[in-house]
Amino acid sequence: MRISRRDLLKGAVAAGAAAAVSTDAQARAPVPARPNAVGMLFDSTLCVGCRACQQACKAANGLPPDPAHAAGGVYDAPADLNSSTKNVIKLMSEGGQTQFMKQQCMHCVDPSCVSVCMMGALHKEGEGKRSLPGARPEKAGTGIVMYDKALCVGCRYCQIGCAFNVPKFEWRDPLPLIVKCELCRHRGDEKKSGPLAVANPACCEVCPRGAVIYGEREALLAQARARVAARPEAYNAHVYGATEGGGTQVLYLTAKDVAFTQLGLPSLPEESSASFSESVSHAPYLMGVTPVALYAAMAFVIHRNQKRDAHTTGEGQ
Amino acid sequence: MSATEHARPMGGPLLDRNMKVLLVLFAVAALVVVYRFATGIGPVSNMTDGYTWGIWEPVNVVVFTGIGAGAFGVGLLCYLLNKGKYHALVRPAVLVGAVSYTLGASSIMFALGRPWNAYWLPYAPYWNLSSALLEVAVCVLAYTIVLWIEVLPSILEGAAASRYPKLQALGASLGPRLQKLMPYVIALAILLPTMHQSSLGGLMLIAGPKIHPLWHNALLPTLFLVSCLSMGYGAVVVLVNLLNVTWKARLDQELVAGMSKVNAGLLILYLVLRLGEVVVHGKLRYLGANFATLLFLFELALFAAPAVMFLLPAVQRDRGRLFGAALLTLAAGAFYRVDTYLTMYRPSGWTDGVANAAGWNYFPSMGEMVVTVGMAAVGIAVFIFISRAFPVVVVDETRASNPSRS
Repeated sequence: MRISRRDLLKGAVAAGAAAAVSTDAQARAPVPARPNAVGMLFDSTLCVGCRACQQACKAANGLPPDPAHAAGGVYDAPADLNSSTKNVIKLMSEGGQTQFMKQQCMHCVDPSCVSVCMMGALHKEGEGKRSLPGARPEKAGTGIVMYDKALCVGCRYCQIGCAFNVPKFEWRDPLPLIVKCELCRHRGDEKKSGPLAVANPACCEVCPRGAVIYGEREALLAQARARVAARPEAYNAHVYGATEGGGTQVLYLTAKDVAFTQLGLPSLPEESSASFSESVSHAPYLMGVTPVALYAAMAFVIHRNQKRDAHTTGEGQ
Repeated sequence: MSATEHARPMGGPLLDRNMKVLLVLFAVAALVVVYRFATGIGPVSNMTDGYTWGIWEPVNVVVFTGIGAGAFGVGLLCYLLNKGKYHALVRPAVLVGAVSYTLGASSIMFALGRPWNAYWLPYAPYWNLSSALLEVAVCVLAYTIVLWIEVLPSILEGAAASRYPKLQALGASLGPRLQKLMPYVIALAILLPTMHQSSLGGLMLIAGPKIHPLWHNALLPTLFLVSCLSMGYGAVVVLVNLLNVTWKARLDQELVAGMSKVNAGLLILYLVLRLGEVVVHGKLRYLGANFATLLFLFELALFAAPAVMFLLPAVQRDRGRLFGAALLTLAAGAFYRVDTYLTMYRPSGWTDGVANAAGWNYFPSMGEMVVTVGMAAVGIAVFIFISRAFPVVVVDETRASNPSRS
């Protein structure tokens, strides 16, 4: 009897060790971009930093001025994304070369925020736990990362997970929300054709230089590669977002001698953080078999131990 | 045979000076929490979009539940491995577990920005099973309930021995019925912490780019599980020593030394895994004359020192030294947790072990610290209250001063 218990434990240890070692073999398959994924392409060589997109974003999303402005600043000029800024233009001068950088949600192909969100408050359009109530039902396939405040408990795990530090929290509100770009899905018009039926980002509509454009991810990726091919002397050959962190639906081009890290974009491996985390975490569970089997085995052993104790001593524990 | 038979209420004044100090500390914390619900989290804390969890998550939830893992560890030894000699440790360990998990779970409620939506969490159709935090939330809530069910036998025994006939009947009828269910409750009380203590490490897997490579690896769930057990066993040794000093509770030195030998094995396992990962994945290159290296070596020393001490006969025999070594295991686990969640976390990430420039800094605010201290204080107060009123602590018969109630 003693041997069987020891075997059970050995088995459990072996299973745990095997699960820990074999995580690569059981890795969750990488998520491909949705066939109709929409996104944006930002070309830092075209941006002149007029910040028209910032104002258009605030108007389109009903966002108040930056807190610093409210405190007496002359301009509404947020230094970074915050709970009243879903889109920001930053002047990056690291490495001697000045570039304008547009920052907003990257609408990742395999987003960390969606992976970590406890009840799917942050979710890909049409792929959440429920459809957001509103005028237009959610449609799967656009890949837009949307926010459903009714399912958000404000745990802020999305802020820990997001490698781009995009989701922001209303720190000074007793009834706070998570604030981030939702690609102006609410401005989409079903009467229009193509991507504009899905969404219509105000920043892209207003940009006077065409530095940021909206469209289907595939088309934008092709266009970005065409621009690089046409003027290889002007562009960094890589399109940021094609593969970074499993790919993003917002893509970036920059000048030839500028690294994307100089724009403040993190260098990320091709495997998404969500894929890595889910592979490692899920492997030992074997689709839920492990906890059930472990529970049954332990209940059996404990029950038997107690019965035997009661038998030998003539009393309950 | 069964040592719990000798557990008895400690009695004594319920509101002595220590108790008053603890309750005042809690009252101050409660005021801060009330203020937080009125104004939002920003004004009482130094938390920002960069350091979004401050100390409430890493300390109040992750460290407190690590201390509470003594219930898990002792249960594992006593019930699963059938080492009946550890029985006397079960009730105090379970009570500490119940109290610290309640603290962790209630701390989540004011750390959450939108806690009123948390009532959906038990609703399975909304579960996102990819989320480690969902697993932690559901498991911790379930386990907190399980722990209080494990405390119930003490309460029912207390009721059965009370002066009131109705309570006596209740205790006498419910007690044995509960006893029949216990194996199924205890199995759950081992399964749930195995799952969520590893998930507390798994939580940080997804923050890969933001955590220093010496702290981030695929073994995070395993390392958190192993170190929660070492913290738990350490906490039990610390606890029985404190109970011995305050209430002359039984302290079987051989017993706690034996448990500490098990703990030494866990600490060595942790060290082998942690160092092995660093070597195998070529992370030795991050070691050098920098803060990360210093902290890494300090943590390893905190794990290694008690491991060695627990194996020395001179320490095993000596109450004070064993107590000291047990305190070190608590510090080791606490440092490992806080360093992973906070000290070596940088919102803008790391490049080759050097933190990228960022616009965020963090040091806990007075409000955050007051709340953390207040929560710990109320936990101690609840433990003292229940131990005074109900049979939890086992007293050495030869030293007991009040045998009439045993």
